[in-house]
Amino acid sequence: MTRFYNFMLYLFSGLCGLLLVGSAFTLVGFLLWQGASIMGLKLIFGTLDMSEIIDVIFWQRIVIDGLWPAMVGTFFLVFMALSTALPLGLGAGIYLAEYAGGRTKTFFSIVFDLLAGVPSIVIGLFGFSLTLYLHRYFPGLRPCLLISGLALALLILPYLVRTTQTALEELPDSLRLTAAALGAEKSAVIISVLLPQALPGIFSGIVLAIGRAAEDTAVIMLTGVVASAGIPRSLFDNYEALPFYIYYTASQFSDQYELQQGFGAALVLLVICILLFTGAGLIRKKATLRLLYQHRHP
Amino acid sequence: MQEKIIEIEKLSFYYEESRVLNQISASFSRNSIAAVIGASGSGKSTLLTTINRLCDEVAGTRVTGRVKIMLDRQKIDIYQPGISLPWLRRKVGMVFQIPNPLPMSIYKNLTLPLKMAGIKNRGLQHDRVERVLKDTFLWAEVKDRLREDARTLSGGQQQRLCIARALILEPEVLLLDEPTSSLDECAVAEIENLLLSLKESCTLLMVSHDLAQVERVADTVVEIADGALVGSKDKV
Repeated sequence: MTRFYNFMLYLFSGLCGLLLVGSAFTLVGFLLWQGASIMGLKLIFGTLDMSEIIDVIFWQRIVIDGLWPAMVGTFFLVFMALSTALPLGLGAGIYLAEYAGGRTKTFFSIVFDLLAGVPSIVIGLFGFSLTLYLHRYFPGLRPCLLISGLALALLILPYLVRTTQTALEELPDSLRLTAAALGAEKSAVIISVLLPQALPGIFSGIVLAIGRAAEDTAVIMLTGVVASAGIPRSLFDNYEALPFYIYYTASQFSDQYELQQGFGAALVLLVICILLFTGAGLIRKKATLRLLYQHRHP
Repeated sequence: MQEKIIEIEKLSFYYEESRVLNQISASFSRNSIAAVIGASGSGKSTLLTTINRLCDEVAGTRVTGRVKIMLDRQKIDIYQPGISLPWLRRKVGMVFQIPNPLPMSIYKNLTLPLKMAGIKNRGLQHDRVERVLKDTFLWAEVKDRLREDARTLSGGQQQRLCIARALILEPEVLLLDEPTSSLDECAVAEIENLLLSLKESCTLLMVSHDLAQVERVADTVVEIADGALVGSKDKV
């Protein structure tokens, strides 16, 4: 009987894994099937020629047509959200894992879990309401890249807090005891021993956060994205973003070519995410090597 | 008569409500090897952790009595208020029962305590690394693989690395909690020779189950049973 249960569990778990891998391949395959034919410089830069494209890339020329403004907007959004949320998330994660205890830890954990469960449209609404409130004191302020970046930071913060906390808590206590026995202050134990060891877990959180910030549409719809704003010149400008472009094209397309452009934009978003994940992975690898294994001879 | 470097007076240790050490009084001479023996669970390892106050890292523990150690030429009650624990633990090093190199390179394992003690000069760090690796007879074996993960070393090498790491801050006392219990005979002999050579520069307090080993290396033997001192003798 036990052998039967063992086999059934093996079969069930294997099938689940296979189903998910199959779904992922189907999704990517479908995107490629629909969007690959339209991929090219024309999709990204419109009708510009090569010298004009180089000017656009180096900020010498404004471009309205194509996906380029949305790609730049998406990159800015991810960068802003991550640069705001990362220090806060790391700090709160360290506090929960290494300092907080008892009721404080329970309270903080409940709050972060609640925040993680808030629908993104509610965070978007909060960002919009905040803009309206601030508009009373700063009349020039309206929905813009800054507000979207901050709202997205709020959205990804719980992922960063929880993954940092879990990555630290999963480290064996022997590391803390060994470091303490070597005369390390608590802060030195955290910075020099625990954080470098927790990097893989923390980077998983960063990758999740990048994905979440890059794909979210609900938050940015209420906080500053517009269909054809071009590349923002400051944090207080409107901007374009790929997820909104995809949503807008899918809901407003007038012919098959426009719909294909939406699929092309989805493929571009996927490629950008893969590049950002790869970049994060390379930074993690480099940081691990540098922090734990490499040294310079005097 | 050698100078007493560690003096323990009526030391009791409690974990929550249970008493683990009961009114222990003992003293240990400078530049000697003292062995603490006793049955499993008698409180030997706990006694060691009260001497560098590593026991403070465990919640729910309490100590009464005094432990005075001669550090920086001053006899200091390590349980008096205001004692810096990092400073104390740099002066009273510790080696654990199971080799516990940190998951990083051999070199970083050795420079980490220096960095944490504020010694940032790379030249000085390298000199100290080379010296302790030579002192622990590891230099020839690892000098070409300092960037490798310390966990790739053999058990005996790992334990010698841990001793080197404890020595790199030049402690005045070295606590060793059954440092050879997880090693094979060959590695045990290496560590014992190392311990005998180390007592020239510091005082060693070692927990051991192996009475033959105690006979070979210890100058003083202290026996603990059920948390209380039941015997103490100088071998010479």
